Amino acid sequence: MSATVEQVREAIIRMRAARDHVLAHRSTPTVIAALAETARRWLAVDSPWRARASEQAAESLGFSPAMVNEIVDLIFGQWTPEALGELLDKELGDRRVLDEFQPLGRLASRAIGPRLITHILAGNVPAPGLVSILSGLLLRSANLVKPAARDPVFPRLFLESLTEVDAELAACVAVLDWPRTETAVTQAALAEAEAVLVCGDDRTIAALRAMAPATAVFMGYGHKISFAVIGREAMTEENLPALARAAAFDVSVYDQQGCLSPHVIYVEERGALSPRKFAGALATAMAEYQQRVPRGRLSVEEAATLTTLRAGYQFRAESDRRLSVWAGPQPNDWLVVYEDDPSFSPSCLNRMVYVKPTDGFSRVLDNVRRYVPLISTVGVAPFDERARALARELAEMGVTRVCPLGEMQQPPLTWHHDGRPNLAALVRWTDVG
Amino acid sequence: MNKTDLQNRVLAFIGGAADDFNALALEIFAFQREHNLPYRNYCGKRGIERWQDIPAVPTSAFKHLPITCFPAAEAVAEFHTSGTTAAQTGKHYFKTLALYDAACVPNFRAHLFPDGATLPLLSLVPDNPHSSLTYMIRRLGARFVDRLEPVTEPVCVLGTAFHFLNLFDAGFRLKLPAGSRVMETGGFKGRSREISQRELHRLIAERLGVTMIINEYGMTELSTQFYDHQPGMDCKDVPPWARVLIINPKTGQEAQPGEPGLIRVFDLANLWSAMVVQTEDLGVAEGDGFRILGRAVGAESRGCSLAAEVLQQA
Repeated sequence: MSATVEQVREAIIRMRAARDHVLAHRSTPTVIAALAETARRWLAVDSPWRARASEQAAESLGFSPAMVNEIVDLIFGQWTPEALGELLDKELGDRRVLDEFQPLGRLASRAIGPRLITHILAGNVPAPGLVSILSGLLLRSANLVKPAARDPVFPRLFLESLTEVDAELAACVAVLDWPRTETAVTQAALAEAEAVLVCGDDRTIAALRAMAPATAVFMGYGHKISFAVIGREAMTEENLPALARAAAFDVSVYDQQGCLSPHVIYVEERGALSPRKFAGALATAMAEYQQRVPRGRLSVEEAATLTTLRAGYQFRAESDRRLSVWAGPQPNDWLVVYEDDPSFSPSCLNRMVYVKPTDGFSRVLDNVRRYVPLISTVGVAPFDERARALARELAEMGVTRVCPLGEMQQPPLTWHHDGRPNLAALVRWTDVG
Repeated sequence: MNKTDLQNRVLAFIGGAADDFNALALEIFAFQREHNLPYRNYCGKRGIERWQDIPAVPTSAFKHLPITCFPAAEAVAEFHTSGTTAAQTGKHYFKTLALYDAACVPNFRAHLFPDGATLPLLSLVPDNPHSSLTYMIRRLGARFVDRLEPVTEPVCVLGTAFHFLNLFDAGFRLKLPAGSRVMETGGFKGRSREISQRELHRLIAERLGVTMIINEYGMTELSTQFYDHQPGMDCKDVPPWARVLIINPKTGQEAQPGEPGLIRVFDLANLWSAMVVQTEDLGVAEGDGFRILGRAVGAESRGCSLAAEVLQQA
């Protein structure tokens, strides 16, 4: 059902009233409790929300039901009362600033969330959209949510589950959808927003930025790519299976559709085992993960892209010793390409990853330098002193996240999404004194 | 059968002599497997009995390996695919152009001049020494022109979709004499604007007053081109010395009728390179021919991917 301008305006009026009530009568601890309780209900093994998401989101997002199950754990597993409190403390200095003036230095200060946040979500993975709504609720804002065409399920189910736990808080959220060509509706959705949060490609972000009110806080999260680096110290017989499992997980989760999914894994030479050996172990781990959590369905174009790439590499690998290919039994199953060519190669996604040998971290930096504005996360193993030195260099280049391999897909709520604060950028402060 | 005999047999077949496609294809397969090392490495020793089962060479292989059945140094011509860096440029080496010429000229005439007319040919495509398209245009005897001038007698204009669009975007309009025709061929790759073929044909008809518009499907890696069966019908004819299979990318098997898949071309005129070429284009079988749906690789993905060109620009 496509929302009309009137429906959007009515929803805004309704939500703002609900928001004013929540702001006046509720405290941060009760908001945290409601959100954590909602997450707990999703996480239960026999959760009806989990079951409904598996059924419906598998259809719309194209993930397998097992993948949706995995996604539910990844997202809601993070929403503990401790993590939510920590997020507020870290971003705002003290969670209590949302409830009353708190002494901060010579002043007493209070933070107030936007009266209305308009969220425009992307359809590749559900996590950023849900975290966006979560942020708005923590700040006790009204939240107008436009889900992506490909993911109408997660935002709506989340709202329904929140209503069950805390109808008062849930009244601060409305999920309304309309085609992006209906610019009058988009304008109505943006006109009164004090903050606009957009996930999408650069064109979408630019268009919405131009339409958003000049005074609104605007946060655009564009498409990003990620990669991983494995140091030679990790390349031992003993480590190999766990290392491969960690990498296979990072590559396979969300069927590689997310910004945090690695496209290339650089493996340092001169370890006890060769980078090629890692590629073989990764293939085994990819196959195991596929058994447990099958990849979702593909469009004809995606399948054709994957088969084309696979056939091309398989043909070349028979005559070129610098190449090796491991692939699942079906023509467009997972694909691991070992290529002795250090250049950064973007994957075609859907569980296709390059493994490339490198003679050192500095060489990796040379090869990724020009892509830095597009890079989100670098997964590193082992996560030791050398990894931290690498992180310092990546930070200076402009990369915004370095994490242990195997955790690329689970940034804690306290991370700086694309290198920026999440809540701190949204609130307005009032100082007294 | 020795190489010369095989070439003569293919030439005769293209020229209209009766032959058995399957038998000829299997002979060529045996020849190519013997003389092209990368192809031999890929095929192994498997036994093949039907032309449909002959392994295909992916077009990307032309970018990285010598796909020839003779020493590339002896090539009389080499055609290059468009690409901005060496690693992206595919090369097709020709031991002789006799097969290419035989496959090219009559097939073009049969589709552009089914009435037997002989019109002057004008090419909007600029000459380029390593382009298979401009070789074909030269071979057809076309004149390369920068722009279209008013003419009194009908002409046949050749160009890529990009060239026509460029002309029209600049506001160009010229009524060509009745009986004029247009051959347009793909060529938006990497360009900023793309329009549908239907829209392009509408524009050509409106701006040039030409109704006989035929789309050509060809590629550097092939020696044979495919033309619309007739104007206004985007179904391609397959000449007797070629076959086209639509491959379901999810199974690797031939697609069901009406089901989209990757276009695989069997081109006997590619005797000295690769007879079976796996394209990166999507199509659908239609009657005895096929319809092109577009390029599969590089199509917009649903994921957080950055299109390859964005990465290249970075």
